[in-house]
Amino acid sequence: MLASHKWLMEWSGLSLAPSEVAKRLTSAGLEVESMRACGENLQGVVIAEVRAMRAHPSRDKLRLVTLFDGEREQEVVCGAPNVPEPKGLVAFARLGATLPNSMRIEERKLGGVVSCGMICSEKELDLGADEDGILLIEVGAGRVPGAALADALGLRDTIYEIGLTPNRPDCLGHLGIARELCALLDKPFAWPSPSLPQRWLSAATTAPTDPAQAFSLATELGAKPAQTVSAEPPVNNVRVQIEGADRCPRYAAAVVAGLRVGPSPFALRYRLHTLGLRAISNVVDATNLVLLGFGHPIHAFDLQKVRGSRIVVRRAQNGEAIQTLDGQSHKLSDDDLLICDGEGPVALAGVMGGASSEISASTTQVLIECAYFDARSVRRTSKRTGLHTDSSHRFERGVDPRGVRGVLAYAAALIAELSGGAVAADALDVYPTPIAPKQVRFRSAKASALLGASIDVKTAAGIFERLGCTVRALGSELDVELPTFRPDLSREIDLIEEYARVQGYDSIPTATPSLRPSVEGNAPEIGFVRRLREVGAASGLWEAVNFAFVAPADLEKSRVSTEAPRVANPMTEERSVLRTALLPGLLQNLRNAQRHAQHRFSGFEVARVFAPSMEAVLPAERYELGVLLWGLRQSWYDEREVLDFYDAKGVLETITHALTGSICQTLLDESLDASAPFLHPKRRAAVLVQGQRVGCLGELHPDVRDAFELEGRPVYAVLDVPALLAVAQACAGKPIEALPRFPASTRDLAVVVSEELPVGEVATVLHSVAGELAESVRLFDIYRGAPVPAGHKSLAFHVVYRDPKATLTDKLVDEAHARVTQAAEQRFAGAVRK
Amino acid sequence: MDVVAAFEEGLGNAASHFQAAFEAAHDEPALRAANARYVGPQGVVTKVMKLMPELPKEQRRGLGQRVNQLKEQIEAAFAARLDSLLHALRNAELSGHSLDVSLPGYGAWLGYAHPLTRVKHELLDLFTSLGFDIAEGPEVDLHENNFDRLGFPPDHPATDMQDTFFMQQPVGVNPRATLLRTHTSTVQIREMLKRKPPLAVVSAGAVFRRDDDVTHSPMFMQLEGFMVDEGVSFAQLKGVLTHFLWKLFGKGIPVRFRPSYFPFVEPGGEVDVGCTICRSWERGPRECRVCKNTGFMEILGCGMIHPVVFEHVGYDPERFTGFAFGMGLDRVAMLRYGISEVGLLYGNDPRFLTQL
Ligand SMILES: [Zn+2]
Repeated sequence: MLASHKWLMEWSGLSLAPSEVAKRLTSAGLEVESMRACGENLQGVVIAEVRAMRAHPSRDKLRLVTLFDGEREQEVVCGAPNVPEPKGLVAFARLGATLPNSMRIEERKLGGVVSCGMICSEKELDLGADEDGILLIEVGAGRVPGAALADALGLRDTIYEIGLTPNRPDCLGHLGIARELCALLDKPFAWPSPSLPQRWLSAATTAPTDPAQAFSLATELGAKPAQTVSAEPPVNNVRVQIEGADRCPRYAAAVVAGLRVGPSPFALRYRLHTLGLRAISNVVDATNLVLLGFGHPIHAFDLQKVRGSRIVVRRAQNGEAIQTLDGQSHKLSDDDLLICDGEGPVALAGVMGGASSEISASTTQVLIECAYFDARSVRRTSKRTGLHTDSSHRFERGVDPRGVRGVLAYAAALIAELSGGAVAADALDVYPTPIAPKQVRFRSAKASALLGASIDVKTAAGIFERLGCTVRALGSELDVELPTFRPDLSREIDLIEEYARVQGYDSIPTATPSLRPSVEGNAPEIGFVRRLREVGAASGLWEAVNFAFVAPADLEKSRVSTEAPRVANPMTEERSVLRTALLPGLLQNLRNAQRHAQHRFSGFEVARVFAPSMEAVLPAERYELGVLLWGLRQSWYDEREVLDFYDAKGVLETITHALTGSICQTLLDESLDASAPFLHPKRRAAVLVQGQRVGCLGELHPDVRDAFELEGRPVYAVLDVPALLAVAQACAGKPIEALPRFPASTRDLAVVVSEELPVGEVATVLHSVAGELAESVRLFDIYRGAPVPAGHKSLAFHVVYRDPKATLTDKLVDEAHARVTQAAEQRFAGAVRK
Repeated sequence: MDVVAAFEEGLGNAASHFQAAFEAAHDEPALRAANARYVGPQGVVTKVMKLMPELPKEQRRGLGQRVNQLKEQIEAAFAARLDSLLHALRNAELSGHSLDVSLPGYGAWLGYAHPLTRVKHELLDLFTSLGFDIAEGPEVDLHENNFDRLGFPPDHPATDMQDTFFMQQPVGVNPRATLLRTHTSTVQIREMLKRKPPLAVVSAGAVFRRDDDVTHSPMFMQLEGFMVDEGVSFAQLKGVLTHFLWKLFGKGIPVRFRPSYFPFVEPGGEVDVGCTICRSWERGPRECRVCKNTGFMEILGCGMIHPVVFEHVGYDPERFTGFAFGMGLDRVAMLRYGISEVGLLYGNDPRFLTQL
């Protein structure tokens, strides 16, 4: 919402500095997001008087105009078609001036004639949108040659941009903000009188119609329970009929006749311009000014185009169409409300007028509509048609049903004044069931307890009255009648907020609560997921946070489940389904890293993945851990090595050990062909902790790698967090082992076996034959090459012997190790090397 | 040969050779072996000494002295030679090529938790220290939990404040039934439906809104906290949040509460803290892009839980009161690390993530 400082001061009767206004409004919840000074950027632009004019010696379209700028006469070149006769006033930019559009005025040669300055248009001065000709200035007080334009035309103003929250429709007009300011400053507030519009006219052209009189003849209809109400007698023979008063509780209309459509006076156009609206014609400008002033949208119909002299407010029929003012055609449903004439739709109620009854240059009579439409109905129509207008914006937030007459009277008087018309004596107000103000009880004890501040009931009463409530005191409590322009107020808590808001939140003290913490604690998963992230980072990985939504194509390309919950209204197809796995996101991250010529990628992510649920309304969500490694380990003196399967396995070992107390095992498992098709079939394994399957690990399948245009051999590991948590919980509380009290004795052993034989199998056999004395059998080297025959590998193990109860003798160790050596020779038919 | 001659010969041999033998040993084991040949259990000198009792009494003393002298000489020579050998070894270790110290380091094999994770843990710890529990809720939730039970009126523009991603529904099901939560306030509803007061809970996680530009990401992180009990007041809300913000941004930073509107709290407010970029409360007003010269940055939304929310979860609003607050973790992370584009937080570029 844009608001003019000058206008606020006019209507509030206050006199405040703009910074003070901004501070007050912001601290009352009407946040002033920015302030813009108008009329401050026109130094060097003055009023000048036309003294003479002659043709340009060489150019048809240019003329030479002699001007007096208060200091001297000079001749400037001008191309505008509307240079006034001598004595006419224009806006003149002197040499050295800089216009708001950053144009600097310097001596210029135009068709061989030197021009020392420029006569400006509205657009060039940022005073309006008109660029067809120069700005003509009407004679008036202070408008003498040489006078600074900003002073002479009263251009100085401050425009506030207020970030209004949707609960405050009353402040969608200057009236409401002015009332708010008065309430905040404890000053009386009065509605602007309809005679105020006279100020818009720079020279009186018509005898103003007395709007009060015009309205005093309005026909007021009493409450009728019927759904259809006709107004009798009609305004200038126009009848208004409401079908379904639930959508349109009130409809008032007035007529202005004998008018002439033309441009509005400069001051009005300028005000609309500073508030972001384009001036169109006096009648349309007046309706816009009323909208910005009262926050209550009104509409003007060309009365001669209202067929059958009838206004019917009714719901549309399914499929019925209307062409709106913007030239668009809309197909409607029976949930949309229409304003119709005797033959068909003339406006989409509360949203936009129809093209058929639009005001044109030839309009001489207008019917002004000021109504109260149901907010939800207007909102649904606005959403369906995609027409978000200044009007729908206000109706859907709620206008004041009781303000209808005042707004209509003001509007009629203004239009009559601007257009030289006369307000018809009869006005209509169809209001079958008047909306009664709500009543609320305010208990100062309750308010004090809730705010934690002691509340004086008299102060509270004063605040509510200033805000437009009617208050009756009952000891420490108040009976409060709430104003209809504040649809956000309906219960006691709303009044408590009003009290705190007007007093200022600063006035409430600061206290420390006595917390009564629960003993239930947090769900185990919360701490577990946190630890997982910490251990992931501690394992040398960096953490990724990808979007929960991905492209369906990426799920397919990464060979994870494509059974993904779909977003109904995604912003792009790239983010249209919820991820069923973390893999696609991490692969995209890797691809970007490779494109940025990174030599290594070691990322992990812990986040939720989704699956549609058969039974429940909501999809299943569970945490997953994904680890993706690729690239080179750095080394200056030895050969650089590629990050491989065992790096990822090492990370998983660290993570599983940290989180469960047990190191994971890996297992060949054919079922991974089906459950993990994204992994290389010869280079992948299932991951188990304490015999429980918790995930899988392997090189990326070449098809997946190629689908994401990746280089090298990325390794991916994925753990199911709930499964891991279950293992961790089962293992919880395991006591730590005491440190050994007797020394160990280590013997080494090397055995040559076929390349096909897994090391794990060899180690298991060796451990079992070594017997109880063997504490561990640990691989420390693999050697290939001469003298080891081709297709074979030499495995070197440390075998650690220890007796927990005594110091081992060499003899015992020798015996045990001999068994191991012998078994190795027999079982693996391999040469044992010492 | 008589004993004295044998003694003399052994002594003379040893005396004339041990020096050469030690010189010939080029490492410590060889030296020790050489030493053992003289003074070890089977050594020449040891053997000679075993002859001592057989020596004539009058010569015993003189010869004994010579043996002892020799032993001392050998010991000294051994020690000197050992010393020189160890010295040479250390010298060898300390000589040779120098490392090219100009080569870059390999980089610590250290990981990085995401900045959002770090900020989240820090904030959760702060509230945990105040006695709050931590809870989580699903990212896809019911319309009821995200809007209706929080008191968003149907067809009200308040829902425009949070442009929503809805989930696709089968034909015949309300197309707005489920959605990607637009705020973590869903957890408020879920926890209140599950538990009874008193309760103080904080929750952090991903939320989603249909917005995508330099300052808005369609997914972002929020932290939400609330407390319900008898006698919870707005003054206490101010106390808790001021304490929290001082811990987060430093004691003494200005904290400003001003009215605002969220359907599920009343009185509702926004909280600003002094702009940490220009620190105008310390240094006086100055030009600042971040706070647009206001000296304040908006950091939190908060308020007293609306009675309508209590009614929806079956709490008696006459008996219980509560406060709630919410904030964007992205914003805190951006302030903390001086990040200017929210997109960086979700781009997962290692060059970015390994800087922080
Ligand atoms: Zn600043």
